[in-house]
Amino acid sequence: MAETLLVADSLDKVYGEGAAATHAMRGVSFEVAEGEFASIIGQSGSGKSTLLNMLGLLDTPTAGRVLYRGTDPATLNKASRSKLRNELIGFVFQFHYLLPEFSVYENVAMPALIAGTLPPTEIRERASEALGLLGLDGLEDKNANQLSGGQKQRVAIARALMNRPAILLADEPTGNLDTVNTNLVYDLFRTISSETGTAFMIVTHDRSVAQRTDRILEITDGRLVQDVRSGPAPRL
Amino acid sequence: MLSIRIAWRFLGSSRGQTALIVGGIAVGIAVQIFVGSLITSLQASLVDQTIGSAPQITLTDPEEGEPVVFSSRVEEVIAGQPQIRQETVVPVRNATSLYTDGSDSAPLNLIGGELAKLNGIYKLTERTVEGEAKLGLSDVMIGKDFAEKFNIDPGDSISLALQGGTRASFTVTGVFDLGSAAFNERQAFVNGQVPQDVLGWSSSEYGSIQMQVEEPFASAEVAAAMRSQLPGVEVSEWQAENADLLVALQSQGTSSYIIQTFVLVAIALGIASTLAIAAVQKTRQIGILKAMGLSDGRAGRIFLWQAIMMGGTGSLLGVAVAYFLLFGFSFSGASFSIEPKLSFVFLSAGIGMAVALASAIIPTRATSKLDPIEVIQGG
Repeated sequence: MAETLLVADSLDKVYGEGAAATHAMRGVSFEVAEGEFASIIGQSGSGKSTLLNMLGLLDTPTAGRVLYRGTDPATLNKASRSKLRNELIGFVFQFHYLLPEFSVYENVAMPALIAGTLPPTEIRERASEALGLLGLDGLEDKNANQLSGGQKQRVAIARALMNRPAILLADEPTGNLDTVNTNLVYDLFRTISSETGTAFMIVTHDRSVAQRTDRILEITDGRLVQDVRSGPAPRL
Repeated sequence: MLSIRIAWRFLGSSRGQTALIVGGIAVGIAVQIFVGSLITSLQASLVDQTIGSAPQITLTDPEEGEPVVFSSRVEEVIAGQPQIRQETVVPVRNATSLYTDGSDSAPLNLIGGELAKLNGIYKLTERTVEGEAKLGLSDVMIGKDFAEKFNIDPGDSISLALQGGTRASFTVTGVFDLGSAAFNERQAFVNGQVPQDVLGWSSSEYGSIQMQVEEPFASAEVAAAMRSQLPGVEVSEWQAENADLLVALQSQGTSSYIIQTFVLVAIALGIASTLAIAAVQKTRQIGILKAMGLSDGRAGRIFLWQAIMMGGTGSLLGVAVAYFLLFGFSFSGASFSIEPKLSFVFLSAGIGMAVALASAIIPTRATSKLDPIEVIQGG
């Protein structure tokens, strides 16, 4: 029986006040099991990125709460929330957001360097493993700026996997990639999920891409309008 | 230390900007050390020229023309003042005289004392430019300007009309240069017995007891202490008699501090603006690092480390440039040399660091407060 990793409980997000207030999220609730491979789909401006940012503890809900393995991060101080984010969550953004001042290896190792808990040899081993998994062997010493778009995104994925997170949150991870690279990335996600047991929550506006995942959560105007599983539902 | 590593990389990624600010700090610190040392040395030189070879505290009788007695009490009070350089305590007797050379004549004030003691203040042996320093009973040492005016050389005999109407002949043993044309022209040194005989004083009676102090600017304080212990003795000191010089020295010091302050303010503004720009330029990177879990404190410290790196390098470079400038100054032909005090050099470098750190406060706070969502949503 899969354990519950994440609970989104009645999430509301309001921007502005009074007459100018905009509801970006209204009462969204769902649960995600450990190792689940899911996607969030919706039109542009539907609130899916807002939801992902709240799940990633980058944004705070106006009402409702997010629980990770039963802990409410809102009850923690900022430093503890940062630590939780570093340990549990990996991010892949639409724009790769690599650090141009650092090499490919350093970019991948960065989450572990931030955590500061692993010995250097293990950091090196893990980074090499993540780079190998994503077919980036031999690029370790290159500068992030010397890579192609597809390579950069794969480096960003390797970085997100570095701390072996419980969940990888990806916001339009293939938005800037061609079809070949898009397929490559989704195949990789699937492989990584099954090999590492990492849960995936992928935001996309492309239904055909979403259909490659086991579960589709559809957001329209800030509401969760559909929660469909293509495979058997994990028994929570 | 991840913050240091990131700070180093950020600095390395914008080398031109880093070089400019390090150069700015270096120039600022160099100017600070150079100007500060120049003014200090110039002041010390001026003070030394003015009073280095002159009495700084003088004891006389309140009644003009009357002798002051060099009693055991006076000796005791002088010995009890740690600021007084005991080797410079010299009792002297003065007598006026007139030198005549055919149609021309000039007054000459005779300072009588023992050569060894006179050397304590006037450094006669050291400052003898012709002949030798010697003060036998019939010897006289005259100033350079007096000797030139009347074309007198060592070994010559001169006749002086002494106060009281007597006339005496003296052999010129040496010509001194005490750095002041007025002194060189009007003062001469003789054996202490000469004015004693002229004035008819006892062996313990002197015209004045002169001395110098370790720290020239402590003279007022020392004189005040001596006044309270020696009632009936007039105690005068150089500062009260050179008010104009003091004002000039103080003005010079003030202008030096103003220059140094503005240099520091310029450095602070330079670093602060550059770091603020750097913080804005690196907003995206900081946001991503924070999204990956970098804490506010560690993110903020990145710019603190940058300030330390730039401040430290700039300060060290500034010290090197300052010594180079001081080395160059030694060839300028100035009448004094600049001797930078190590404590002032360390202080300047320390101020450079402190200013750099203070300049990092704003970017450090801004970085600390940056919310990663601003970067993520900004795309």
